[in-house]
Formats: sequence, structure tokens, C-alpha cells
Amino acid sequence: MSAAKLERLLNLTALLLDTPRPISAESIQSQIEGYPREQASFRRAFERDKDELRSMGIPLHVERVPGTMPAVDGYRIPREEYALRDPGLDSDELAALHLAASAVQVEGLPATEGLLKLGGLVSSSGGGDLGVHVTPLPADPNLGVLFTAGASRTPVSLSYRSEARIVDPHRLDFQRGRWYLTGFDHLRGAPRNYRLDRIEGAVTLTDLPSFAAPHIDVPGQARGAWELGAEDPIQAVIRIDGAQARWVVQHVGPDRVRGDPALEGSEDDSVVVELPVTNRSALRSFVLSFLEHAEILEPQELRDDLVRWLEQVS
Amino acid sequence: MTPARPTSGARLQRLLSMVPWIAGHDGPLVSEVCERFDLTPEELAADLEVVWLVGLPPYTPDALIDVVQEGERVWIHYADVFASPQRLTPEQAVALLTAGASVLALPGADEAGALARGVAKLAGVLGVDAEQVLEVDLGGAGAEVLDVLRTAVRNRRRVHLDYYSFGRDARTHRDVDPYRVHADDGSLYLLGHCHLAEARRRFRVDRIATATLLDETFDPPELDAAGRLFEPDDDDPRVVLRLASAARWVAEVYPVESVEEQADGTLLVTLAVAAEAWLERLLISIGPDGEMTEAPTEMRGAGARAAARILARYR
Repeated sequence: MSAAKLERLLNLTALLLDTPRPISAESIQSQIEGYPREQASFRRAFERDKDELRSMGIPLHVERVPGTMPAVDGYRIPREEYALRDPGLDSDELAALHLAASAVQVEGLPATEGLLKLGGLVSSSGGGDLGVHVTPLPADPNLGVLFTAGASRTPVSLSYRSEARIVDPHRLDFQRGRWYLTGFDHLRGAPRNYRLDRIEGAVTLTDLPSFAAPHIDVPGQARGAWELGAEDPIQAVIRIDGAQARWVVQHVGPDRVRGDPALEGSEDDSVVVELPVTNRSALRSFVLSFLEHAEILEPQELRDDLVRWLEQVS
Repeated sequence: MTPARPTSGARLQRLLSMVPWIAGHDGPLVSEVCERFDLTPEELAADLEVVWLVGLPPYTPDALIDVVQEGERVWIHYADVFASPQRLTPEQAVALLTAGASVLALPGADEAGALARGVAKLAGVLGVDAEQVLEVDLGGAGAEVLDVLRTAVRNRRRVHLDYYSFGRDARTHRDVDPYRVHADDGSLYLLGHCHLAEARRRFRVDRIATATLLDETFDPPELDAAGRLFEPDDDDPRVVLRLASAARWVAEVYPVESVEEQADGTLLVTLAVAAEAWLERLLISIGPDGEMTEAPTEMRGAGARAAARILARYR
């Protein structure tokens, strides 16, 4: 960007931030240095500048200039929509965020510009090594809009399995290399999970009334692949033999273990876990990964499914 | 972080962040401004040249932003219109909260530390409860095990592992030179040289029951960013699988050596088999969607034999 264009865009931003009333294009042209005098060229240059500001997420509003007849479009940037509320980050907190953002990147979503807004790139005094090397997480084009919708509790409209749905987006989860949305499906009248990479096309905000704060049972508890599906929920009871019991408990969480979850000194004993299932094939894969060291106890429907599957293995 | 050189819009964005910061501090050092905003002193000088010309109508000297540079320090005055940086875009918020949530979800993370406080403050201004709107699971591990492994990698110390080997379906004890803890595809792995196998191996951290720091040290090799280490042994037997379309994922998930698209829509894939239990699991998870068309004599029928053992529990 040339210095002249940078100067013009900064002056335009300052003017539109400062004004309490919308300003017409004509008035902008006469006040800001660097715009062409000729109308058609000015219009083109002004359109490009507006696009540039909007692409940076600057809330550039178009409103009628008061008292004009016929109506004349005016422009302004409402300061309350533009400005970041200062989170008051201490230097060590900003450094910790910087370290985290350096270690965990989301593909195509650079964290640098966000950090600059928060006060810049600050190095950690305690050394800059997380000790874990993280493969960059995949991005999804709908992450931003789903985050906005979740934060503002706005129902969204989306297409999933060729069905148009209205969903209250409660939470985004990154699990096993994929993004998932948990939300309340208006069509089903029940909570559902959606894989973001299977959402067809763009998610859009609706103008439906905002939803109430979701009640989420166990924040912080990772969920298994068998819970990340859109099928009708069913409860599965599974016995896992002693050798694998320890890591299964770690994997599914101790609150899913029936009976005494304390495994100390009982390494050779099996455990029985109860899992909520909305993805039956993921549960089957999970159980089969233990070979003969695990068994679905209930319900009969899932036992029968597994037996039918195994009888077809060549 | 990989600093991409700013494109046109990036320079404007950076200025909109930098001007409020300098204006809000009483004469910060030029070197500190450069470090925080990822600039060379020359780039900073060029940016400040522009800021000097910015202001409000009527653009008389008293209506322009004032930049003062004295020695090593710089001040910006009369920049009230740019008193606040721009708010985060949803994508920037997601990137930062994801990074924060990921690190906080690692076993043993300090729940009251600087990162936790920073994430909570950031979530506060975004109007969300960070724990409830976004959750990231990089993979499970025992906090003590992970702590030992990170220490060992950092200090280049050998470790002793009590490890449940999934491929062999057996518990093993081995000494390992740990090169790196790597989070990939939802699991934490330890990459290193295994003295039991006398080869580089990858271990799932959540299957390590205990890790003990030993006295021996080692020199780690250079690893690429992906940390790719697994190279099948040339002596490992090969099998060929025919996959129906429902099982095509195998070709993406497993280290296949060759893939042949067939006229009937199936795929023929060749895989190296390091352990029989590994092959059994693969075959029973493919189930009716595939069959093994070529295999050494002792591996033929491996899937059906495993299925029979499992079915015995259900009858």
C-alpha cells in the first residue's frame, strides 16, 4: 500500500469515527485529500476504500443523511461498534496468549493481527517453549459465524444432510482432528451434534429471538466419537477387560464408569462404562478396537448389530 | 509464529493497533514498539511518517496527530480518535481462544496461571464464557506422564516406559530417547528412538502407564514439522485389500504403499503389516466393506479368526 493511500484510508477512518452524523460521499470527497476530482474516478476509488475497510472488519454504516430530500446516503463508523473494550491484559497474560498462539495455529486464521490489537507480540520471560509440538488445526469457513452466533445467542440457519435446519449454536468442539458444533436443533426439538465439514454451504444468522444460555453438563469433559453424531441417542453399557481399563477410564472420563472408578491396585480387573451414543458406527469401531477384550453388555440392539457386523468379516 | 510480510491491508491494520498502543504509553522505546508490532526500525519510521499526516478536518497543524521522537523513545499525542484498537474479528477471536483452550486442555495445565487469566479476560470482552463456547481436545494423557516426557524432551534425557502396545495387544517395558511430544489428529504422541525395537517409534501418550526419567542423555536428530518418523520395515509382510466405497477412508488414514482404482469402483491398496493384532483390528473395522485379497499364508483369514474370538463373548 502506498503511503498516500495509507494516509487517505487513515484520514477516512478518523473522519468517519469522529462524526456523530452520517457524512455524504460528496462531503468526504471535498474534505479528504487524495481523492480524484472527476466524479466517476472518485466513485471507483471510494468504493474500493469502503471495501478495504469492511474487509478488515471495520463496521462502516450507510445511513440517510438527516434532512435530505431526496435521501442522500451518508457514512459513519459507530465508535461503540468499532472499538475493542480493553480486556486489561497484564504483560504475562499477553505473553502467555502469544506463546499459545505460536504453538497452536488454526490453518488460515493467523492470530497475529488479533494479538496486535491486544497490545502486540510479547515474549514470555519464562522461556518460549510449550513442550508439545502441535500440528496446525484445520479451519472451517463457518467457524467465525458460528462463534458470533454462539456469543450473541442467535439461532442460525444451516443445511445438513440435505435438510435445512434452524439451530441454537451452543458450543464448538475440536475433537480427533475435526470441528463439531453442539446445538439445539429446532426441527428435531432436541440437542444434536454436527460435523462442520459436513455442513453444506454457508451458515447464516437468523433474525429469530435469541436463545437462553445453554446448560452444558460437564464443561471440560472431552467427548468420544460415539457422541458426535446426529442419530437418536441411546445408552450403551460396555465391559472392558483389565489390561485396557486404565486408559479407557482416562479416555472416557471417570464419571462414565459404573461402580467404583478408583482403579488403584485393581489393574487386572475389568471396568464397566456407560456411554451415551449418537453415532453407532463410531461406537462399534471403539469397541472393536479392543478386539476380544471388550463386550457390549446392553442394549441388545447394539449387541446384535455388532454380531451381524462380525459375521460378515471375511 | 510465521510472520508473513504485511500485505496492503495488513499495514493499515497494524497502524490501527500500534497508534493507540504508543499513544497510551508514555514514550515507549522504539525497540520495544518494533518488537511488539513485528517491524524493523525502518518500517516503523515509514509508518510514523504517515501518521504525522493524519488527523481531522480542517487538517490544520493543531488538528493533526503529533508524533515526537526523542533519542530512543517515541510519543504520539492528539490521537484521541484512535484511542482504542479495533475489536477482534470473529476469526481472530476464534484463533486466539482456540489456541488458549488447546493449551489449557493439556493435562497438567495451570488453571490459575497467566494463560487462564488471559483467556478469561479476553472471553469477558468478547461476551462469552470461554469454557462453554469452545473446547479443544488435543489428546489425552496422564498429567504426570506428560510432565515427565516434556522434561525429558527438554533435557534430552532417556525415559523408561510402561507402555500398552496396541499393535501387539500387549504391555511392554522399554527405554526410549524422546525426541518430541506431538499433538496430531486428536492424540498426543511421543516420537523417539526405542531401544527395545532399536528403531524410531511413535507412542500414544495415553497408553503410557508410567514414564520414568533415566540418567542417560542423547542427541536428538532434526525432525520435520510434521514429525514423520514411521517408516515401515522392509522386512514387514505386505497385504493387499480390496475396499468398497464405504471403506475408502482406509486409504486416507493408514500408511498405504499403493492405491489402485478398479473399474468396479473398489480400491486395491497395499499395506505393510508390522504386527498381527494391528491387521486384525483393521480387518474387523472394515468389516463387510472390504476383503483381503493377498497375504502371506499365516495371515490369511486373520480377520475371520479375530471376529470368531470376539463373537465367542456374545454366544
